[in-house]
Amino acid sequence: MPLALSPTTVPVVVDDAKCIADKGCTVCVDVCPLDVLRISDLTGKAFMKFDECWYCMPCETDCPTGAVTVNIPYLLR
Amino acid sequence: MEDNFVEGLTEVTCDVLVIGGGTAGPMAALKAKQRNPELNVVLLEKANVKRSGAISMGMDGLNNAVVPGYATPEQYTKEITIANDGIVDQAPVFKYASRCFEIIGELDRFGIRFQKNANGDFDLKKVHHLGTYVLPMPNGDTVKKALYRQIRRERILISNRFMATRLLTAKDGRIAGAIAVNTRSAEFLVLRAKTVILCMGAAGRLGLPHSGYLFGTYENPTNSGDGYSMAYHAGAALANLECYQINPLIKDYNGPACAYVAGPFGAYTANSEGKRFIESDYWSGQMMQEFYNELQSGKGPVFLKLNHLHPDTVGEIEQILHKVERPSRGRFHQARGTDYREVMIEMHISEIGFCSGHSASGVFVDEFARTTVPGLYAAGDMASVPHNYMLGAFTNGAIAGEHAAGVAGEIDLPEFDSELVSLERQRVLAPTRRDDGIPPNQLEYKTRRLVNDYLQPPKVTAKMQIGQARLAEVREDLERALVARNPHELMRSLEVSSILDCADMAAQASLYRTESRWGLYHNRVDYPDKDDDNWFCHTLLRKVDGRMVSEKRAIEPYIVPIEHEERTAYERLRVSNQA
Amino acid sequence: MSAFDPFEDFGDAEEIAERLTDADPAVRRLAVIDLAETASIDVLPHLLAAGEDHDASVRLQVAIALGEFETRDAARALAKLVKDDDPSVAQAAADSLAEVKDPAAAAEILPSLSHPSAFVRAALFRGLRALRSSSSLGPALGAMRDADPNVRAEALAVIAYLKLEETLPSLIDATCDADASVRAVAVDALTFTTKAAARAAVAAALSDENWQVRAAAAESLGRIGRVCDADVLVKGLGDEYWQVQQKSLGALGKLKVQTAVPAIAQLLESEIPALRKEAAAALGEIADPAARESLMELASDADPDVRKTVRWALTKLG
Repeated sequence: MPLALSPTTVPVVVDDAKCIADKGCTVCVDVCPLDVLRISDLTGKAFMKFDECWYCMPCETDCPTGAVTVNIPYLLR
Repeated sequence: MEDNFVEGLTEVTCDVLVIGGGTAGPMAALKAKQRNPELNVVLLEKANVKRSGAISMGMDGLNNAVVPGYATPEQYTKEITIANDGIVDQAPVFKYASRCFEIIGELDRFGIRFQKNANGDFDLKKVHHLGTYVLPMPNGDTVKKALYRQIRRERILISNRFMATRLLTAKDGRIAGAIAVNTRSAEFLVLRAKTVILCMGAAGRLGLPHSGYLFGTYENPTNSGDGYSMAYHAGAALANLECYQINPLIKDYNGPACAYVAGPFGAYTANSEGKRFIESDYWSGQMMQEFYNELQSGKGPVFLKLNHLHPDTVGEIEQILHKVERPSRGRFHQARGTDYREVMIEMHISEIGFCSGHSASGVFVDEFARTTVPGLYAAGDMASVPHNYMLGAFTNGAIAGEHAAGVAGEIDLPEFDSELVSLERQRVLAPTRRDDGIPPNQLEYKTRRLVNDYLQPPKVTAKMQIGQARLAEVREDLERALVARNPHELMRSLEVSSILDCADMAAQASLYRTESRWGLYHNRVDYPDKDDDNWFCHTLLRKVDGRMVSEKRAIEPYIVPIEHEERTAYERLRVSNQA
Repeated sequence: MSAFDPFEDFGDAEEIAERLTDADPAVRRLAVIDLAETASIDVLPHLLAAGEDHDASVRLQVAIALGEFETRDAARALAKLVKDDDPSVAQAAADSLAEVKDPAAAAEILPSLSHPSAFVRAALFRGLRALRSSSSLGPALGAMRDADPNVRAEALAVIAYLKLEETLPSLIDATCDADASVRAVAVDALTFTTKAAARAAVAAALSDENWQVRAAAAESLGRIGRVCDADVLVKGLGDEYWQVQQKSLGALGKLKVQTAVPAIAQLLESEIPALRKEAAAALGEIADPAARESLMELASDADPDVRKTVRWALTKLG
């Protein structure tokens, strides 16, 4: 049986205009304790790949350009 | 950036292997290296040492600083003993209390900023009226950064994104190393070592938060109990696991209510009438029982009350609470339009977990952080030193690092059976060999939902037995049908396996102790009374011939005597465990 | 099956430094991050050079990175970056400067203390504080006449950290500063001595117009006062702010002022539970058996914290 996809709204949002992952930055991906962020092959920008967030905020705090925003996951809001 | 499986296996050799780069781990590695700079010290971490562990975003203060002039090690040991209903081996507690001031000084030199008065001296706060132990850290967000700087300077070998899965032991039972798997490629790493220090944090992903969000736990959800599981499978004894961790939290948000931060400013926990109700003195199971009773009563729910304070004071508290430890807290309140100045904030109790940082359960250790397996150490939230919090992780990590370095300098590298490695590779990779089955998130949800339904207090024998049976079914599913489509899912699969082990241990330990103790933590409804005649002892759980067994262990004679009067004075503060 | 190196490789400093000449400021900025990550003191010259970058975002990253090095060289560069036209660079440099640990760094900071910007002056004094260098004393004393209250507050902290008896006149003057936050710091700073002049200044601050200064003064007096200072504390029991009353109770308890027992006992009837509790605690500290009866009346107080404190106090009374 194929595995189904169930969509979720992700808490971590990246502003592509500010993100410099395409220049070689991996700060947010590196600091995430749950390893849920990735750099997109398509856009070269960071994005949240897995909805497994502790909303702990190192990705936002450590981002050198202020491109990352951490929201509270919808289920808790 | 793809998450593809890569076939790979590398073996490295070191003297001291530290597993877990959160709080205790970096300190253990640092102290091991400083004790003997000749040694090869490796720090292995599932995430990245820079921002891993419970204090990823820092900490708002030390809860248990034993500082000369404010408290003595004797006094502290006595209070911890009483708060844990006497079930304490005092030697490790006393050792911690005697050494933690030196560690505070060291952290201060690292650049970790503690609250100081105008003259630059530590500014301790009195929270409860026994001793004075709270040292706030208004800029506590710098903790990890400062620690990481030291690790880098000492040239500790760091191995990030490797998740340890099992410990290796030699024929004579001595520790010989560990096996780890990369969380982004599934490549295997065999680490041979003379001594191993487990600093892998709490089992924080055991119960399911009320929100239903798997990762909305009180503890950092990377702390999925892997250390408890690994220690168990290596044959180490685990102590008093029935003494769960349960904490007061902001409802729906996993931030603590921060009696230690807001308390010194005059904030408190109140019922819906705005009145105080907590009788006990120390953050303990007894306090949680009182909290639970109030929640269930007509005066519930429970609130954090700050709206009687001056707006300036509230602003000062917010500065700390919204910046350190759980900085998204401000965002949570803002979204709901709640302001500490105006309304009381609804609170609730957390899901269950294992964590000696706040309670008393963990891998059994002595005053040198030694487990019952030769060469294996444990420190921090997963080791059995009760109520040791962040400063305990640092201090006991240091104690472990120093002792492990001493031993590693004297022995040869133990041999191990290489067949263990191939068996472990098969076990780990099994979910990757399936195209179809149950994904880890579903298996995890079910496991943790069963923990909530059957294992969380108030504990009922028949329910826990049903829980055991249902968890056994989930284990069959895990062994037969768990599927991981990429290395990231494989990491989650391995975590589910740890969570399931911890759930089994929670059930076994809770059923074994047929009395009630530690307030809500081990409130057994069908054995409502404390039974000192039969149960004034530790319980140790371990794996013997592949089976989980429990036994009693006598408490070591106290080094700081507790007068009968002191204990009864505490007893008089008790309320009934019936809601 | 392939073998691999499992350990973090922080790269070769020289290779990373080459990226500092890239045309793209984002690339140069990332090079600064990578250089700092090596944690090697050898990269410092590269960082110092990058501090001259014409792009503010690169200088910002340098200002953050230099906080990792704590040395005199880093302080020299930071003392310069604090004056940066870009406010975010200046702020980051100020924060990093406060991380410097080498006492010799004071020599790099002192020459700039007369800078026209109050922000810069305050940041530099903040950097000097933890260095506890005696060379900072003169300039800090001078800065107590600075027009800007933040500069005065930071300079005061520099003086207070040195804990020198000779600075008492300045610290005492600061308890009359025009700015309340400076006065509050001064009142706290005087607790390193029990000299009569310091106690008198702290006692006088209990009549300050600002309640937070009065609360700080009560707390300080509890630490350095004598029983003979008790009158102002008893007056503090009638303050219009309960926070000041609470601190005064705490201080009277600490100083074990027996004559204050009747006044303290009156607050056992306060409507505010925090005051009832503090009053009970103070009576316990003083341990005058005369307080027994009034304490007994509170044994069944509605507030559990008050009840607990009363029980504790009664055991102290013997």
